[in-house]
Amino acid sequence: MVKMDVIATKQLELAYDDKSVVDNLNLSIAKGKITSLIGPNGCGKSTILKAAGRILKPKSGWVYLNGSDIQKLPTQEVAKDMSILPQTPAAPPGLTVWELVSYGRFPRRRRRSKLTAEDKDIITWALAKTRLLESAAAVVDNLSGGQRQRVWIAMAIAQQTDLILLDEPTTYLDMAYQLEVLELLEKLNRERKCTIAMVLHDLNLAARFSDCLIAVRNGKIVAEGTAEEIMVPEVLSDTFEIDAEIVRDPRTGKPACISYHLREERTGL
Amino acid sequence: MSGQSKIIYSYHRRKTYQNRGIIAALAGALVLAALISLSVGYSSLTFADVIRIITGSGSDNEILVLFSFRLPRIVLSIMVGMGLSAAGCLLQGVTGNALADTGILGINAGAGLTVVLYVLFFGTGSMLAVFTLPVAALTGALGAALLIYLLIRKKTGVISPFSIIMTGIAVQAGLSALMTLLVVKLDDTQYAFVSSWQVGSIWGANWHFVLALMPWLCILLAVIMSKVRVLDVLVLGKETATALGVKIQNEQKNLLFFAVALAGTCVSVSGSISFVGLMAPHIARRLVGPRHHVMLPVCIMTGALLVLVSDTIARVIIQPSSLPTGVVVSIIGAPYLIYLLTAQQKYHERN
Repeated sequence: MVKMDVIATKQLELAYDDKSVVDNLNLSIAKGKITSLIGPNGCGKSTILKAAGRILKPKSGWVYLNGSDIQKLPTQEVAKDMSILPQTPAAPPGLTVWELVSYGRFPRRRRRSKLTAEDKDIITWALAKTRLLESAAAVVDNLSGGQRQRVWIAMAIAQQTDLILLDEPTTYLDMAYQLEVLELLEKLNRERKCTIAMVLHDLNLAARFSDCLIAVRNGKIVAEGTAEEIMVPEVLSDTFEIDAEIVRDPRTGKPACISYHLREERTGL
Repeated sequence: MSGQSKIIYSYHRRKTYQNRGIIAALAGALVLAALISLSVGYSSLTFADVIRIITGSGSDNEILVLFSFRLPRIVLSIMVGMGLSAAGCLLQGVTGNALADTGILGINAGAGLTVVLYVLFFGTGSMLAVFTLPVAALTGALGAALLIYLLIRKKTGVISPFSIIMTGIAVQAGLSALMTLLVVKLDDTQYAFVSSWQVGSIWGANWHFVLALMPWLCILLAVIMSKVRVLDVLVLGKETATALGVKIQNEQKNLLFFAVALAGTCVSVSGSISFVGLMAPHIARRLVGPRHHVMLPVCIMTGALLVLVSDTIARVIIQPSSLPTGVVVSIIGAPYLIYLLTAQQKYHERN
């Protein structure tokens, strides 16, 4: 029996065509927590997230959502439990912010054609949370990269699911917006008990906002645990091949990597 | 509903009114174009004449010209325009490629090939052809679609829009060549029939063809109108659509089937008309934006208008003979395709 994590994988094997990316992966994402996958480019972290979100079908093995095999669940039902923000989503030209965010209600109103007053209030709530109310009537492709990213986040939260998967939600964002997005996710986690699982590039942000970090390299889990357990020179060396200097962030009290060198064997390259 | 919701919603309500205005304008344009189309041709009638004949006081000869020759041709043009533009809209939505069109992808050519084969074996004379020809064309269209599918199929089930277009163009070229090869085998009457079919003459301009096409068109259009919301989500891309709970592969297959069926049946009566499925969705998107519940009806009406106007031009431009409708559509469509290509390039450069 698989333990009741929101997401759990068992002997998961993932591949693109015949190129194996992940093999025999057993990973779990705890309910009610913020979990971040970290690792170097091409380590398979995005691929794992795609499999968790049933976007990529496993070559073998299983992904369980709340204890049930995700491949056997009706995809429409899954969409009521889990929303996903892909890495580079694209909106068709001419679509307004409000219209795009309203698609977040799609899983719950397939048969009905009209949005209910409740749907509209949820969309407005999602726009307010992402500070997009003023831009509600703007056309998505006219927005800046940062605003566009917030529109997609608004759509994902308008889905009102207990689990949100995000693939690098802070890419394209400047520093203030990065914090804003992560603080929003933190708030959703605290207030609505949303489970958040994401791929993050920035180690310090991952350490600051995550309850659990999973370090991935070559499709395998190098280590998992709290920021304090993962943000140590040994783990970062194994994961990123770097020699890192870790301090406590004086404001947040979380570990932060302030400087790093390449590990010795890589410097000669 | 909260106050903020109301403010945002009032903007979109204004947009809804605007969209209704556009639909009404298109309907008006269609009626006007139909009236003009009724009045022009070999035996020219004035507008007043047309109104007089419609209201029931025309001579037998006038009634014959209007109701037995011109009206079925106009109705067929409208129906074919509707079907082909809807097929184009579906293909563009499913493939995520703005250049998808049943003509370009070889689906029309597939239908054409079976039409030629049919003519080769059964001739053109029998009345039965009216009802069996759409079936033959549909088989050919499905065959072409299946061929494209088999060629681009990958184990992972991920189909890139680009490979669909490139493979489609290749299939189109191959099927056209095969068709040319077969044409050599035809006798004179068969040849005349096939060559006029290839350039897209609305050749079967009588009420039997309207009747043969009507049920197909009504059913298919009704089905795809029920899919508008799925289409909206599908154009967001594979990942987002999956995230929102759409069974991508099933929906894609169904929608492609509907597109092929629409194109196949329309092409069986109209001959190969390209570009309608390309132009109409674009014009519609320009007019009302990308949401299919408005875009699809506007696209269908635009397609109808395009074919009707082209057919009218085809009938009058070199009187007393007439150009094939497909040629006129292509004369309008080819520059539009070039314009689209350059616009797309500019868009990519900007982003």
